[in-house]
Amino acid sequence: MSAFENTKCECGHQNPTGTVLCENCGYPLDPEEESSEAPLEMRYDGIARRSQKANPNPIDRVWNFFSSVKVAVRLIVITLIAAMIGTIFTQENAFISFDPTTYYEGKYGWIGKWYYKLGFSNTYESWWFIGLLVMIGTSLVICSLDRVLPLYRALNKQQIRKHEQFLVRQKTVYTGEIEGPEDVWTDNMAKQLKRKHYKVHMEGGALLAEKNRFSRWGPYVNHIGLIIFLLAVLLRTLPGWSIDNYVTVAEGDTVKVPETKYYVKNEKFTIDYYTDAELPKELKGTARAKLYETQAILYTCAADCDDPSKEPKLTEVKRHNIIVNDPLSYNGIKAYQFGFDDTPKLKAVNPVLIDKKTGKSYGPFKLDMRNPQLNFELGPYSLELRQSYMDFALNSDGKPTTKSREPNAPAFVFLLKGPGLSDKGEPYMYFPKQNDKARFSQDVINGELAERFELKVPAMEGVEFTPVETSLNIRYDRAMPYIWVGAGISMFGLLLGSYWQHRRIWLRLDNGRVTLGAHTNKNNYGMRAEVTSALRGIGIVVEPKSLDNGRNKS
Amino acid sequence: MSLLDFSSDAFIVAFFLYCFGFLFYGVSALGRKWSKRSPEEHIRRWGRVAYIVSLLGFIAHLTFFFTRWSGGGHIPTSNMYEFMSFLAMAIMAAFIVVDAIYRKPLLGLFTLPLVVIIVAYAAVFPQEVQPLIPALQSYWLKIHVTTAATGEAFFAVGFAAGLMYLLRTVDFKKTDQRARREQRWVEFTLYVIIVIIAFIGSVFGFRGAGYEANFKQETVEIDDSGAENSTVNTVEYSLPPIFKPYNSQVVTMDSFLGIDKPLFETPHWMHGVDAARKLNTITWSIVNGSILYGLLRLALRKRIGAAIHPLMDGIDEDDIDEISYRAIAIGYPIFMLGALIFAMIWAYIAWSRFWGWDPKEVWALITWLYYTAYLHFRLSRGWHGSKSAWLAVIGFVVVMFTLIGVNLVLVGLHSYAGV
Repeated sequence: MSAFENTKCECGHQNPTGTVLCENCGYPLDPEEESSEAPLEMRYDGIARRSQKANPNPIDRVWNFFSSVKVAVRLIVITLIAAMIGTIFTQENAFISFDPTTYYEGKYGWIGKWYYKLGFSNTYESWWFIGLLVMIGTSLVICSLDRVLPLYRALNKQQIRKHEQFLVRQKTVYTGEIEGPEDVWTDNMAKQLKRKHYKVHMEGGALLAEKNRFSRWGPYVNHIGLIIFLLAVLLRTLPGWSIDNYVTVAEGDTVKVPETKYYVKNEKFTIDYYTDAELPKELKGTARAKLYETQAILYTCAADCDDPSKEPKLTEVKRHNIIVNDPLSYNGIKAYQFGFDDTPKLKAVNPVLIDKKTGKSYGPFKLDMRNPQLNFELGPYSLELRQSYMDFALNSDGKPTTKSREPNAPAFVFLLKGPGLSDKGEPYMYFPKQNDKARFSQDVINGELAERFELKVPAMEGVEFTPVETSLNIRYDRAMPYIWVGAGISMFGLLLGSYWQHRRIWLRLDNGRVTLGAHTNKNNYGMRAEVTSALRGIGIVVEPKSLDNGRNKS
Repeated sequence: MSLLDFSSDAFIVAFFLYCFGFLFYGVSALGRKWSKRSPEEHIRRWGRVAYIVSLLGFIAHLTFFFTRWSGGGHIPTSNMYEFMSFLAMAIMAAFIVVDAIYRKPLLGLFTLPLVVIIVAYAAVFPQEVQPLIPALQSYWLKIHVTTAATGEAFFAVGFAAGLMYLLRTVDFKKTDQRARREQRWVEFTLYVIIVIIAFIGSVFGFRGAGYEANFKQETVEIDDSGAENSTVNTVEYSLPPIFKPYNSQVVTMDSFLGIDKPLFETPHWMHGVDAARKLNTITWSIVNGSILYGLLRLALRKRIGAAIHPLMDGIDEDDIDEISYRAIAIGYPIFMLGALIFAMIWAYIAWSRFWGWDPKEVWALITWLYYTAYLHFRLSRGWHGSKSAWLAVIGFVVVMFTLIGVNLVLVGLHSYAGV
């Protein structure tokens, strides 16, 4: 848009700088528009946008930058491309534990290396991606403010009688001679248009019919919704606005939810699989999950919450069977079914000590995996626990070590004392799991002692397993209502703007000749059909296509 | 006969009715020059026949959908076969809506083949009713998937009209640089469509012939502690192996045209899920597509675009431009509602977060941003006509990548597609 010097229209109206079409009569003020024959550029009704100032200061310049739709579209396209690049390789946050410095290069070669180095492995949390979203948000605010207020003013005080140039350069145009008196003709036309739900205004041989103006506000309502949505997304990052924790609860246990005063109990965890009868041929024999369910109880702590020496006093607040797609929800806290662990883990064993020579056995005694007793008296013998390993392994030096705290391969070193044994006692290594016993050659480790004594669980009843564990995702998100409100407003605005169109028909009668121009912001096809139908109503038959002053070609 | 068998039959009936619908649209467009009647009368008559046949196809498709729903116990939108056939049905519905507004018989000439291709593509995937896994057991499966697909269906109609616009306006006789570039790209678009047809044809051809090849593939992985773990998997091919899996041995292999061993080995760095089989399928599609394209060129003695262009004579190009835009403008809010808002609500209920940058979510956002850009280009920057038509064509490529590409190429939570 070029800068114009003279902003006073020939009708006498003084327009603000940057006005394309006179606010009053619609005459094209822009010299380029004035000299052209093409349909008028009716965007924002030809008003001067706020950003079109004569002498912009630095703040105006920033404002002008963000007020440009061109800039907005570029921001959208850049964001789109960045988002695409982010999906090429799996993002870092999809892994639970791994080393990004070596992973990408190891898996994808030099492309992966640069992908990581340039920060694409963490695209969506990167400062520049969030920066792009913030810029889009700014652009939404400024673009809207820049246009909506002048547009509101322009639509609020429309002049009925428009310049002829304005009418014949609309996209839908009709001109012709009229029969009969002018005021009768306009009245008839007004009746036709009213039947089509137009609001009709008349003024001395000129007519303005308008409908669905609200649809003009659709895009702005939509943008307001998007702004609220983006602000809500930013709010979520404030401390205290969201909690995201995982708790693992064994059946029957009650566990404190970190960062909250709540406790959650897993009464019972159920996992169901489809039976073969329910599965199609191809899937028969596969384990296809049907249901994961945690019967959960949520407690709040009433007293003794922070005193480790006392059991906290809990009050039940909510009971819910949590399944995927149906979380427990209480006061903004939600507990989701996230996963489970049903691999059998030893809880305790009840072995007996067998004297191989006599065949006598002593015990059984209860050996708890996680909290074992330190001394066991078994008839004349005694066992003293010296060392325990939950997940036994040998390290690179050949020394025993434990890989984790989970009882995957438990091992215990006892000092066995009693008749026929040295006074200091003799060390005996015990692997409760049968396969570990073979794998780590328990008998070889114990050497000569293994020929005389054995620790053994006599029957399956002597083995106790930990119950199934469920893992729950505990969430608290204070910004959610704003997210939904923002999304809702945005959607509502989009519907207003998309499925209704603002339509206006102007006409003026000059010496028995009618000049009609019609404008819509979308769907000129429908506009022409409506004008055709209104004209037919007063006895003028035209082809819709003949009204097309289109030439809307690129 | 069980309800599900009846449903499968209805699916086949729908497919053939769509084929006939397309055929009659073809007759309507092609025959007007030979017909004894006036061209307008001919188009009107055959356009009507074609429309009624397509409508019957749509009714058969609806029958398929509801009987499968009733027989399977859940809405058939839970795997790739069901989703793709639903998408095809939604495209028909979108076509019916747009056609009701504009009444342009030739729109069917472009929409029907698209529907036929998507229905056929759906049939490539396993068709058994699979019981729902817990994550899909929600009424949001009904709401989210159907609305998202409906939005995408309108984009598909926008694509069909956009392509139609290009074939109408790109002049194949001109030789200036711009015209040449447009001709090349239109021809390339048509070539890609032919490759897709060849892909479907190859899969069904070899499936019909009962072709099979099996490989034992050894994969060596080095675990955390530095120990080598090797696993042996069986890989099954239903197309003759041009590329065999990396580091694999033939177990059994049917001979095809005298070829009884694989020609090449897949390079080692392609190790996605079923990478070798996908590479092999893509190679077959391109080879067969190129042959098919070559044959068509021979038969027509000119570029395919140049052969279609004269059929479009006398169609008002502004109207097609408007149709393409209108279809997208109708689809955009539905898409946003289904693919973003409902998706966020469901994700919040099922996965505890409304947005997680899962590849499928990101691509839904990309599609949305793409069409947002399209609308801003069109409404604020005045991109009409061929620019807008190209955007509509490319947009549908983005949509298809979101629907298919993400499931087949990228990994993520939406990888329910069973092929």
